Amino acid sequence: MILNVATIICAEQWRYWMRTKVAATVLLLGAILTIAALVVNAFHINEAAHARDHLQTEAEQRFKAQPDKHPHRMVHYGHYVFRAPTPLSVIEPGVDTYTGNAIFLEGHRQNSAMFAEQRQSAGLTRFSSLTPSFLALVLAPLFIILIGYGSVTREREAGTLTLLLSQGTSRWELLLGKLLALITASSLFLLPLLLACFYVLFSNESALVVMLFCLSYVVYFLLWATVVTACSAIFEKSSVSFTVLIVIWMSACVLLPRLGSSVATNIAPSMGKLEADFKVEEKLRSLGDGHDVNDPAFKKLKEDLLAKYNVDSVDDLPVNFRGIVAQYSEGRQAKVLNEFAETRMSEELEQAQIARQFGWLSPTVAVRSISTILAGTSLETHHRFLREAETLRLDFVQALNKVHAEKLDYKLDMNRNASEEAADKAVVGADNWSMLAEFDFKPEAGSTRISNAFIYFVQLLLWMGLTALLLQAAVRRLNP
Amino acid sequence: MIRFSDIKREAGFVFGHRQIKLTLLVVFLLSSVSLWSGYAEMQEQQATIERLLKKDETERNAVLTHQSNYGMVAYYAFHLTYAPPSPLAFAAVGERDVFPWKHRIRMLALEGQIYESDTDNPELAFLGRFDFAFVTSVLLPLFIILLLYDLKAKEREARRFDLLNVTARNSHAIWSSRVLVTLVPLVLATLIPLIAFSVVNGASVASILTVCAIVIGSIIIWSAIVLAIGAAKRFAHFSATHLASIMLGVWLVTTVIVPVTGHTIINASVDTPEGGDIVLTQREAVNSAWDKPVEDTWQAFIETHPQWADKTDFDPQRDSSFNWKWYYAFQQVGDQTAKGLSESYQAATLRKDEIASYVALLSPSLLTQRLLTSAADTDVQAMVNYENNVREFHASLRKFYYHHLFEAPDFSTASFKQLPQFSPQVSKKQENTHED
Repeated sequence: MILNVATIICAEQWRYWMRTKVAATVLLLGAILTIAALVVNAFHINEAAHARDHLQTEAEQRFKAQPDKHPHRMVHYGHYVFRAPTPLSVIEPGVDTYTGNAIFLEGHRQNSAMFAEQRQSAGLTRFSSLTPSFLALVLAPLFIILIGYGSVTREREAGTLTLLLSQGTSRWELLLGKLLALITASSLFLLPLLLACFYVLFSNESALVVMLFCLSYVVYFLLWATVVTACSAIFEKSSVSFTVLIVIWMSACVLLPRLGSSVATNIAPSMGKLEADFKVEEKLRSLGDGHDVNDPAFKKLKEDLLAKYNVDSVDDLPVNFRGIVAQYSEGRQAKVLNEFAETRMSEELEQAQIARQFGWLSPTVAVRSISTILAGTSLETHHRFLREAETLRLDFVQALNKVHAEKLDYKLDMNRNASEEAADKAVVGADNWSMLAEFDFKPEAGSTRISNAFIYFVQLLLWMGLTALLLQAAVRRLNP
Repeated sequence: MIRFSDIKREAGFVFGHRQIKLTLLVVFLLSSVSLWSGYAEMQEQQATIERLLKKDETERNAVLTHQSNYGMVAYYAFHLTYAPPSPLAFAAVGERDVFPWKHRIRMLALEGQIYESDTDNPELAFLGRFDFAFVTSVLLPLFIILLLYDLKAKEREARRFDLLNVTARNSHAIWSSRVLVTLVPLVLATLIPLIAFSVVNGASVASILTVCAIVIGSIIIWSAIVLAIGAAKRFAHFSATHLASIMLGVWLVTTVIVPVTGHTIINASVDTPEGGDIVLTQREAVNSAWDKPVEDTWQAFIETHPQWADKTDFDPQRDSSFNWKWYYAFQQVGDQTAKGLSESYQAATLRKDEIASYVALLSPSLLTQRLLTSAADTDVQAMVNYENNVREFHASLRKFYYHHLFEAPDFSTASFKQLPQFSPQVSKKQENTHED
């Protein structure tokens, strides 16, 4: 029964919207924008995926196609890894355009990711971007406000509210009808996004992740539709309802996310990479230079090795001492590098988490966190990329050092600078380069991403509770 | 003709209105908070530069005392380069969070070093900075709409509209003075914190005036848009909130749709080499040099450095098959191979920026943002200038070391007194701030 009346009210509201040009324009504009964003973004991501896949294969082929060389030269030749975009980044590209997607891996160094796309955007997309997530999280609420701020106040101002209520329509029925109308209208913006999610389901993305991703957007739209309907019922005049809603939108969607970012920068300033590099160097200097076997830092290593093989000089060792030193010092150095890299990443994560606490103040921040984490375009997934790249780096560098120790004669090696012929002899075969592992980046498992996003679901739940209370208050206060 | 008495009466009216007072207070707070946040961040960047400079010096001196030939020093000695924040950078952080503003450079191939980015937390950059440029270019128009959309409608609803028009000596004067007493406090609420911070931060009077002019200009443009929509005959029958929806539509189209459409079109129309290609090309060139005949490297090197043509010989007594001259020559040849790509990459960045400056003519918000970052030296141009400063510095390093490697004087630590020092270029932007 209650639904019947609500449906009639909803249909009535739709008839009104279709009559007035403003609502129809907003609806049309919103739907076109969402579809355009999806198409443009899907093409872009698809292209990027192909380009990076191609570059990755090419980098691997080039590495393996290198001629016979001194293994340490391959350590410096290095390798490139590229991060492939995740399926859901079609909707939420997240930090991807800000991080850079390629890393050069080489011996003795951890490089940062290069070529952030944002640098090529001439500042045009710093506030807004044609991404489905921006449209859904920032613009859609504005559209919902524009079509819904007067849904109840209009009836009140025209005097029809008294009529409706005196004819036996209950307050709940009335508000539910209005809310239903606004939800169906806003679904015009949401539907393309949900369809895109449905499409993503056919990729290798976890179904549960995609469903929760959709759900958080659906809830977000419901929140706004409810807040707008409630405000329209609470305030006497359309102009007041309008002003209040615009102020809410400004703070929740525009102001607070950025305020969070600035607060995080200032509360927990993180040490830049350069500054960390100095600390790394300070620490490394005490560890010895892996290029120089005579460095006093390797004395102990040498003595142990001589004792182990029971020989008197490094010349008599069955392994190449230079390779052993390279292996040993690379391993020790990587430990220091990773220690600092981990510190830096945890500092960054701490900053991001401070900014995400603003989800308690704005549902937009909460859904943004959920959306980037689930889509695998959050800081966490970027860090995972950095860690995997580092693992690959250490693996191939150490594999090369092992080849250096086991397959290259020490005397030939020491003699390599004597002449060009000697240099030509101090090499190992190209077949050794095939040890390079393939790099195929995948975001964290679905369950990990969901548990990372847990606290932000709690934020969203809080907002659902608050909004329900607001709706209840609106029903109670609904007077003609 | 607006009389003083009109202004006084309207001021009394405006300040008697709680909503307007509240809005002004909020604008004042937002402006102050954004400035404080930018100020704190720039102080931190300045402090970082000072700390880095100190460490850089120590680290280099350590290298100088440990090494005993020029080739090794050139290999191990890094040089800090940086772009210090301008005195106004706190007002518009601009591109400083996506472009690098500090690099450590050494004698190796530059193309392998210059794209390293020690930028800020990407998630924070993604959320965006809450700086003064954002407040004035994105939020202020919304506040102007909120303040002015129901200028007349409010009076109509209060049934004072006709009364006001009849009792006033000049009906235009009422509305003009009412707009004026609303906007002047708005300008003051926005600019007073800015002026205070700028003075504390030692910005020049001319640059402060420039920024004030940009902000006032932006407020005037938006007020004109809002008032024009409010006064348009076409919309005469619209309610105040309908008018406000149209105003928000204009905000939406100019602030969001124009930039993103511009971005999409620019990206599709300007050919940019893949960044990855630059570094791959450079690396291939550098690494293949080891396997190629030495003459190949020398030939390519001498083409651009004819002055060293007679000095490419190795001294087998001293140099064996490995020689630093040759090593740095092939580093340079690596850069030369990637030069075309690298130049077109930078040219594409600048070309996109240039087209964006035309797109900005269609969007007051974008124009404000671009003018502010330009005045604060945090725009794309400034960041590219820094990159070019680094290139120049690298060239001067090469010049210094080439001399010592090719002329081969005996190693002496005293010679490092001549080692080039990076000094950041202070921009001459103040003279030509208005790019458009």
